[in-house]
Amino acid sequence: MLKIENLKASIEEAKILNGIDLSVNAGEVHAIMGPNGSGKSTLSAVIAGNESYEVESGSIIFDGEDLLELDPDQRAHKGVFLSFQYPVEIPGISVSNFLKAAISEKRKQLGLDPISAKDLLGKMREKMELLNMKKGYLSRNMNEGFSGGEKKRNEIFQMAMLEPKLAILDETDSGLDIDALKIVANGVNKLKNKNNATIVITHYQRLLDYIVPDYVHVLHNGRIIKSGSKELALELEEKGYDWITKEADKKWD
Amino acid sequence: MGLIEAIKKYNLTNPISNVENSDAFSYFLNNGIPTNKDEEWKYTSLKQLVSNDFSIEAKGEEISQDELDKSTLKTKNQIIFLNGEMVKKPEIDGVLITSYTDKNPSFEDAFTALNAAYANNGYRIHVEKNVHLKDSIEVIFLSKNTTNNFIQYRNRIDLNENSSIKIIEHFKCLDKNLCFTNSLTSINLEKNSNIEFNKLQNHNDFQIVVDNTIINQDEKSFSTINTLLLGGKFTRNNLSFYQNGEHCESNMNGVVILNNNEFGDNHTYVDHKNANCESNELYKGVYLDKSKGVFNGKIMVRPDAQKINAFQANNNLLLSENSSINSKPQLEIYADDVKCSHGCTIGQLDDDALFYMRTRGINKEDAKTILTFAFASEAIEKLTIDELADITKKEMEKKLNLSLN
Repeated sequence: MLKIENLKASIEEAKILNGIDLSVNAGEVHAIMGPNGSGKSTLSAVIAGNESYEVESGSIIFDGEDLLELDPDQRAHKGVFLSFQYPVEIPGISVSNFLKAAISEKRKQLGLDPISAKDLLGKMREKMELLNMKKGYLSRNMNEGFSGGEKKRNEIFQMAMLEPKLAILDETDSGLDIDALKIVANGVNKLKNKNNATIVITHYQRLLDYIVPDYVHVLHNGRIIKSGSKELALELEEKGYDWITKEADKKWD
Repeated sequence: MGLIEAIKKYNLTNPISNVENSDAFSYFLNNGIPTNKDEEWKYTSLKQLVSNDFSIEAKGEEISQDELDKSTLKTKNQIIFLNGEMVKKPEIDGVLITSYTDKNPSFEDAFTALNAAYANNGYRIHVEKNVHLKDSIEVIFLSKNTTNNFIQYRNRIDLNENSSIKIIEHFKCLDKNLCFTNSLTSINLEKNSNIEFNKLQNHNDFQIVVDNTIINQDEKSFSTINTLLLGGKFTRNNLSFYQNGEHCESNMNGVVILNNNEFGDNHTYVDHKNANCESNELYKGVYLDKSKGVFNGKIMVRPDAQKINAFQANNNLLLSENSSINSKPQLEIYADDVKCSHGCTIGQLDDDALFYMRTRGINKEDAKTILTFAFASEAIEKLTIDELADITKKEMEKKLNLSLN
């Protein structure tokens, strides 16, 4: 589904990604871990199409199409979704109107009939239940005045509504207490099926107890320096990152 | 022939007989049209516009029923002016509506003086004690001319004790010649009365408007002026509140969305003369293309006016490199027990917000429009008349779509 080859990207002259290779197939969950500043959020931003980053070389092929040729909104229409580490507050537009705009545009671009207001509301209610969200939430302004936990839950709610093929969850666990984490993880797990894939970006192993990955990759200095099964995450939790980063630093020096 | 010459010529054929009006006219002649040297007109220039040929109070062309129907908001109570003449007014119990000539016109500057000199056209609304009018009154001034025309209106609204009313006012120019309107409306609020006055200024590219609105408030009166400046070649709004008794409240909500070469200037003044009063002011401006804006908000708190709450905010988005806004808050506070705050911001759309929206599938143009609309709509949330809220939203969207897509 997703094939990233030798991806190099920078922001304002600073090289952040130094050659990423990653393959993700439908039905899989990949975890990307790594110390602060290793390039985890940059990778997710580049996949989603953030124009602040300059892609210097490499390719991102998604369902046979070159993502780098597409605008962020076109990538969303193809089925890419990014759950933000820091969701943006958008005053003046309600959650329901925001989603209505997003879903209408997506359906239009995919050549689908518009969804009726009634069906849309029904779907919103259903997904809100999945995430234990309070009534009245739909009429609140997008992320405005939301607590950290509410913002993260709102990200997963949007994901549930947009039904992406590839969801990238960037530090979704940060700012969540354990109960909220369980609800969010449960939501993500319920949305999982054999046709979609998830990339979980996280600093800590904690989230991976609830969203169990098929593969774990360690990112350091903009490169994937080690890949393994879910046991790798446990090992990192126990030993920290130093033992692999030092080894990698020697190799790339 | 420029405007001043045209006015002088008009004066020869329409001489002024009474002394008040001729004093006003002399004041106008001595001072002329304000220029950038005048502090109150520092960023606002009519120089080019007034060099155009103008007719003064031209009789105008016939306006068809169809043109009229398309121009109104189709509300129940309408006062209609065609080319300066009142042709329709509603009959409402407890509300007296007549055409108006100010017998003792006052003036403050050149434009109000010129208005005072020839204060012949206008309406008067008098709301009797204890009358609360539920339906709004829509006042529309329509002009249609084969030449550039200069026209003046002088209006007066009086609310007796414990009464309330809602007004929508709009001007419309129906031909492709300049319509220059110089209007003055004085609103007098007795104790416990309440007015909501809405200025719908979705003017076309031929309209030049200088408007003066003066609100005199007795104790416990309440006023809200909503200014919806959504277009027009040139607009200068002077909005002044005088709080003549205690426990008054004066509210201003303004939204300005301009594009192309449009110009809009909002000068506001609140004179807190008595204690325990409040004023709230929020103006939101969006400037597209080569449009220019001015905001000048003056708040005066007199020495005896203790326990005043005065809030002012002017927030602006400049959405083009060629647009500009000059924003100036002016606070003069001579009392010590007051709460006053003011804030002014000038910015662009937030790139993070745009990216966020695009990752959800909303295209760039729509994302810009949605963000801008959301920014501006804070100032129209308090509109209480459905017909007005609908057309305002429609006009805002139309304007933003034109310039952002």
